[in-house]
Amino acid sequence: MTAPAEEPIIRTDHLSRRFGELVAVRDVSLEVRRGEIFGILGPNGAGKSTTIRMLCGILDPTGGSGTVVGHDIVRDAERIKERIGYMTQRFSLYEDLSVVENLTFYAGIYGVPFGRRRARVDQVLEQTGLTSRRRQLAGTLSGGWKQRVALACATIHQPPLLFLDEPTAGVDPVSRREFWERIYEISAGGTTAVLTTHYMDEAERCHRLAFIFRGELLDVGTPDEVVARRELRVAELEVERASDAAALLRAAPGVEEVAHYGHVLRLAVRDGADPVALARDVLAGKGIAVRGARETRATVEDAFVAMVRADA
Amino acid sequence: MSLRFLVIAWKELLQLRRDRLTLAMMAALPIIQLLLFGYAINTDVRHIPTLVDDQDRSAESRDLVRRMEATGFYDRVGEVHGYGDIERALRSGVARAAVVIPPRYAADLAGGATVQVQLVIDGSDPQIVGSAQSTAVSLVAARSAEMRVERTARVGGRAGPEPLELSPDILYNPDQRTAVFIVPGLIGVILTMTMVMLTAMALARERERGTLEQLIVSPVRPVELVVGKILPFVVIGYVQIALILGFASVVFGVPVHGSVPLLFALAFVFIAANLAIGLFFSTLAKTQQQAMQMSFFFLLPNILLSGFMFPFEAMPRPAQWLSQGLPLTHFLRIVRGIVLKGSDFDDLRSELVWLTAILLALVVFSSLRFRKKLL
Repeated sequence: MTAPAEEPIIRTDHLSRRFGELVAVRDVSLEVRRGEIFGILGPNGAGKSTTIRMLCGILDPTGGSGTVVGHDIVRDAERIKERIGYMTQRFSLYEDLSVVENLTFYAGIYGVPFGRRRARVDQVLEQTGLTSRRRQLAGTLSGGWKQRVALACATIHQPPLLFLDEPTAGVDPVSRREFWERIYEISAGGTTAVLTTHYMDEAERCHRLAFIFRGELLDVGTPDEVVARRELRVAELEVERASDAAALLRAAPGVEEVAHYGHVLRLAVRDGADPVALARDVLAGKGIAVRGARETRATVEDAFVAMVRADA
Repeated sequence: MSLRFLVIAWKELLQLRRDRLTLAMMAALPIIQLLLFGYAINTDVRHIPTLVDDQDRSAESRDLVRRMEATGFYDRVGEVHGYGDIERALRSGVARAAVVIPPRYAADLAGGATVQVQLVIDGSDPQIVGSAQSTAVSLVAARSAEMRVERTARVGGRAGPEPLELSPDILYNPDQRTAVFIVPGLIGVILTMTMVMLTAMALARERERGTLEQLIVSPVRPVELVVGKILPFVVIGYVQIALILGFASVVFGVPVHGSVPLLFALAFVFIAANLAIGLFFSTLAKTQQQAMQMSFFFLLPNILLSGFMFPFEAMPRPAQWLSQGLPLTHFLRIVRGIVLKGSDFDDLRSELVWLTAILLALVVFSSLRFRKKLL
C-alpha cells in the first residue's frame, strides 16, 4: 500500500530529547512534505543534529513521537534506516579505500542487489562526475571531492529521503554551489532532502525552513513566509562617519539591527516602518549626511537574527 | 629558546587530565607490574601436583613419601598404579610429576642393596623439571646418607654401596630444548596480542573517522557488523597458528605429537574469546590509541600469569585464581598438551569447558556494552 501524495514524509509531534538535565530538543512538531528541500536552521548547539538523529532512528526521543517514511521512529527504527540516506559534515568515507570501493561498500550495506551493484555504482560515478577519479583513494581527495563522494555514497540506494547534517561545512564556495546543483537534481528525481546548515545563503535555497533555537522550534515556512512574518524592512545606507551613525541608529526606537557591510550600513526596522525615512530623521538631527539610501529585500539572515534576539 | 614549550606542555597536561582512561592506566600499570613481579614471579616451583605409585606399601616407603611432601615442593594429588595411569594424568595436566617406589623397597633397603626410586616429570615446563628434579635429588641423597650412617653404625665396618638412588624420567621434551617449550606457548601469546588488538583497533578506527556513525545509520545490524569485522581476524588467527607450527617444525624441528585438526578446532574457542575481549575494549576506547593501550595492558598479565613465562604452580593462590580467568591459561595447556604431550580430546576436556565458559561470559558482557543506538 502506498501512502497518498499528501501524506508528509516526516511528521513529528512534540518530539523531545533530554541528556540528563540538558534539554537538547523540546516539543518539536513539524511536517516535511514529499519531494521538498527542507532546511533546519539554528546556531551551533541548538538541537539540529539531535533532531536529525532522532529522525534517523539512531537516538530515541525522551518525549513525543514521530513517523519517518511511514514508520515510527522508536518502534520501526530499523525499517527507517533502509529507506534513508545520511551524510554528515565529516564525510564518513573510508580514507584507505578508493572512490569506487567506498561506493561499492555502501551499495552492499544498503542492500543494492549484488547483480545491480556495479551498474548502479557506474551510474552514480557518471552522474557525479567522479568517473575519472574512481581509482583514487578517498583520503587523497580534496574537501569538495570528498563531499561529492560522500553524497554519492549516501544516495547509492536511491532513498526516498536524504538527511544532510551540515553537508557544506568547510567546503569552498565553488564546491558548495556545485553541491547545491546536485541536491536540486536529486530533489527533481523525487527524493526529499532534509538538511541542517548555518549558512544563510543556503537557507534561501531551501523550499521550506525550520528555525530551531535552544532546542525549540521558532518558526516553519518558506523563506519568504518566514521573512514576511518578521515584518522587517531593510535599507542599505551610505553615510558619513559610519560608526557614529550606526550607534545612533541602534539607539533609535523600532530599529532591529544595524550591521556594517564594507562602506554600507544595513539597517533593519521592525513593524513595517520605512527604514529610509527613519534613517534620514535620526541622522539629520545629528548632522550626519546620508549620501545614498535604498530599500532592499529582507533576507533569511535578517529574520534569523531578529528571531534569536527576540527569544534571547 | 622561547618558553613556548611550556605552553605546549600545559596544553598536553590539560588534555591528559581529560583523558581519564590513559591516566588510570598509567597509574595502574606500575602497581600491577609491581604486584606481578613481586609476588607471582618466583621461579622456585612449589606445590607441584604429584602422584604416588607406591608398589611396596611399607612403613619405609610411606616415610619417603612423607619426607617428599614435607619439602613443600610436592603436593600429593593421588595414588596410582602403573605407568599408564601416570602418563594419562600427566597428559591431562592433573599431575606434573609422579614418584614410583619399587616393590620390595623396604626389603631391599634392609638387605643392603641399592634401591632406585623413580621420579617421572612432565617435561613440558622446564622450570617444573628443574624444581622437581633438584629437590628430589637432594632429598634422596640426604636420606641415602642418613641410611648409610645408620647402616654403618648398625653393621659396623666400611660404608656399603649407596642405599638409595633417584632415577629421573622426564616425559615430553626429554632434551629440555627451549624452542620445543616456547613454541606452543608463543602460539597462544601471539594470538592473544593480535586478535585483541586488531578487533579493538578496527572498531575504534571506525569511531575515530566517523564511519561508525555512518554504519549505525545504515540498516546494518550490530551482529552483522561485529561478525563481519571479526571474521577476517579469525582467518588471520588460523594463518598465524599454521605459520608458527610450520616454522617451528622446519627451523627448530619442533614435532607435533598430537592431532593438528584437534588443535585447530579447540583454537576456535580461544580465538573467539580474544575477539570478544577486543570487542569489549572497542566499546570503551574512543580512539585507536586508547584501543592499543588497552590491548597492551591486557597482554601483560597474560604473559606473566598464564603460565607462558612462569609455571602456574609457582604462583601464589590469588594469582592462580586470576590466571584461571584468562583464556590464555587454558589455551596454553591445550596447545602444550597437544603439541608436546600428544594429549587427546578427553585429556583436554576440562580446559575446553573453562575456555567455553569464559567465552560465553565475554560474549554476554560485550553484547551488553555494544549498543547500537547511542553514539
